[in-house]
Amino acid sequence: MTGALKGIRVLDFTHVLAGPYATRILGDLGADVVKVVSEKRPGNTPDSTYYRMWNRNKRSLSLDMSTEHGREIARALAERADIVIENFSPGVLDRWGIGYDVVSKGNTGVIYIQMSGMGDGGPWGDFVSFAATVHALAGLTYLTGVPGREDIGIGNSFNDHQAGLHAVTIMLAAIEYRRTTGKGQRVDLAQYEVGVALTGTALLDYFANGNVQKPVGNRHQHEIVAPHDTYPCLGNDRWVAITVMTEVQWQNFCTAIGRSEWTGDPRFATALARVEHLEELNNRIADWTMKLDAYDVQELLQNAGVPAGVVQTGKDLLQRDPQLSHSGFFRKTIDAGAYNEATPFERIPLQFSRTPVEEYRAPRAVGADNAEILSEWLEMAEQDIQLEEQIGTLR
Amino acid sequence: MRPMESSRTEGILQTIRVLDLADERAIYGSKLIADLGADVIRVEPPDGDRLRLRGPFASDNDGEEHSLYYAYYGSNRRSVTIDLGNARERETLRQLALSSDVVIDTGTLASADIDVFDLLEAKPELVIVLVTSFGSSGPWAEYLTSDLVAGALGGFVATTGDVDTQPLKAYGELNFTTTGLYAAIGSLTALRHARETGEGQVVELAVHEAVPSCLEHVLMWGWFHNDLPMAKDDVLARRGSLHWSDMYEVMDASDGSIMITTTPDPMKQLAWLVEMGVEQDLLDPKYGDPEQHRMMVMRMMEVLRDWVAQQNVEDLFFEAQERHFPYGWILSPDRVAQSPQLEARDWWMNYQLGAHIVRGPGAPYLLEEKPIRKESSVSEVGADTREVLEKIGWVER
Repeated sequence: MTGALKGIRVLDFTHVLAGPYATRILGDLGADVVKVVSEKRPGNTPDSTYYRMWNRNKRSLSLDMSTEHGREIARALAERADIVIENFSPGVLDRWGIGYDVVSKGNTGVIYIQMSGMGDGGPWGDFVSFAATVHALAGLTYLTGVPGREDIGIGNSFNDHQAGLHAVTIMLAAIEYRRTTGKGQRVDLAQYEVGVALTGTALLDYFANGNVQKPVGNRHQHEIVAPHDTYPCLGNDRWVAITVMTEVQWQNFCTAIGRSEWTGDPRFATALARVEHLEELNNRIADWTMKLDAYDVQELLQNAGVPAGVVQTGKDLLQRDPQLSHSGFFRKTIDAGAYNEATPFERIPLQFSRTPVEEYRAPRAVGADNAEILSEWLEMAEQDIQLEEQIGTLR
Repeated sequence: MRPMESSRTEGILQTIRVLDLADERAIYGSKLIADLGADVIRVEPPDGDRLRLRGPFASDNDGEEHSLYYAYYGSNRRSVTIDLGNARERETLRQLALSSDVVIDTGTLASADIDVFDLLEAKPELVIVLVTSFGSSGPWAEYLTSDLVAGALGGFVATTGDVDTQPLKAYGELNFTTTGLYAAIGSLTALRHARETGEGQVVELAVHEAVPSCLEHVLMWGWFHNDLPMAKDDVLARRGSLHWSDMYEVMDASDGSIMITTTPDPMKQLAWLVEMGVEQDLLDPKYGDPEQHRMMVMRMMEVLRDWVAQQNVEDLFFEAQERHFPYGWILSPDRVAQSPQLEARDWWMNYQLGAHIVRGPGAPYLLEEKPIRKESSVSEVGADTREVLEKIGWVER
């Protein structure tokens, strides 16, 4: 691996999305990520299409953690790791004998990050959660939707990504701290607290003003602006987002769509007036957009200096988006890894002038890198590795 | 495992100095770095950052209005004012950049005619993160964005909303939150390389690429729909809270809403329904056939809907969690504010608004070694200009 994080060793016990997304980023950036998996834990293996999405740029080590040898090897690896990361419920790694207290005795510089659902301790500490659970408990589901409904929420496991991104941020900060102090540390990242932090301004509004924010559809939460919504266009379920953020943009908008007279209409003369007459305004705009192709609306308005964009589906991103095509955002791995062919992927959105991320390797078959990892990290002799294979430790 | 003993009063990034030229598109990234104790200098125009005018607002006893948006996103920085219309002050900005470890910029440097590669030549170890809406080149490079437009073009908005609503954005500006996080990651990654090698660099980041990096199933549907038993074609249209796996959905209880899921073990869920005597026809042998597993799960969601409708939401939620089912009670912000979990973990922190202290969100991670600050405050516009510029030898204005 090359890249800015070259030389950072990551021992990765994560599964599903939040943790694997974090270690995928570390792997992209050049860290040596050793993903610990097992044939005995189906679901967290390359057979799963979901796994294929989140486990590129990692090496695969298979360890049977129900065996004493498996746990011993894990402990030896943890003692040589810069980062140990997991997203189990609290306590699993302790039961395996590789809790922070044990590992940090032999490895004082270890950055040990636990990404449990609710955090370690507290009355909800043992609660089980997926992203949808966190969205619910954090207020994100309640606040995302239209007035009068609380059953919409975000349409993907967004908080898992957010937990992963926050985890990477804090690990990198801990690396800088260790550089100056020599000290590692334990990080307790509750996915729930990440989700709650995303509603920060609503919580401040509650504590400062007693105001309980409600879902507002597509209205802007921080500024009085209008129009600011999605509008139907020609075709099956095609939409365009139009957001007029300033009075200059409002003038430009009205001119571009051939409705200059709206700027003189007192109902639409100011942003506040437009918000007060929102239904009338939105109906008029929809009357205009529904006869047009969404991409044509986008181009017309953007050329007039108004932020507008098609509500693109995944298919649009992959097949139609000229900007992502220009920047080479979608690629294929340089190898096949656990599969018969290269894996398509979206590259990391960071473009480094000196340490560009160029090599993307496909997820590896279970245990494909056992010998290499045990030899490099633990200096294990070939015959010892073979012995562990024979007695069933490495599966 | 022993409980963590730390409180959160200081930060672990005290060794770095960051020049914060981020607007709403990346401000969450400089916020996270500031909250971790870095010396973050935020540059504002002489009449103040326009983000200080963002709501919601709160009045203090003196009748002064404070932006709660800015209290959250713009706090814990030092504030320096720079008039970009003044050549001498543009040079001051350049000097500020050169006295930093990291610069996070959404366009101010270009407005000041400061070339980033000139900066790198003058200070080879400098890290400069440049955030744009769509990229520095390409057919949409000049396009304007907002969080809603970014979410629309980036694929987020198409996933959110129901079959009977228009496509929707999420609460706040979460596409910009994602961008800010990547800006923080780009900053600290390049900083690590600079610390190891002495080599700084320019890191580019487009909002339009950050958004589709966080779409869970969306791109999987495009690439692998043939491998997914639940996929009918290459696009999954928005459908309210019903997850792509068909196994999570928000349902109505008698007095509230709750996210119900049959994961991780539908058989365990079935056992609970049987125990309650509300399994309806789920024990029919046709559902026992492993080939019919999906049909059984779909039917189970229907049975659950009938049962949940009769339940008290709070009782159901705690009973489910007691049995290790990852149900989620749909909570409004006032209820989140009263969360016993957040209280027990001493999560909240204090935000200073003028002479007032208001409770607000804490940090999204708990650190053992060097705790995170517990007080948050916003500098007055330009409050630190003199002090900062004195240090770099530019006091004359």
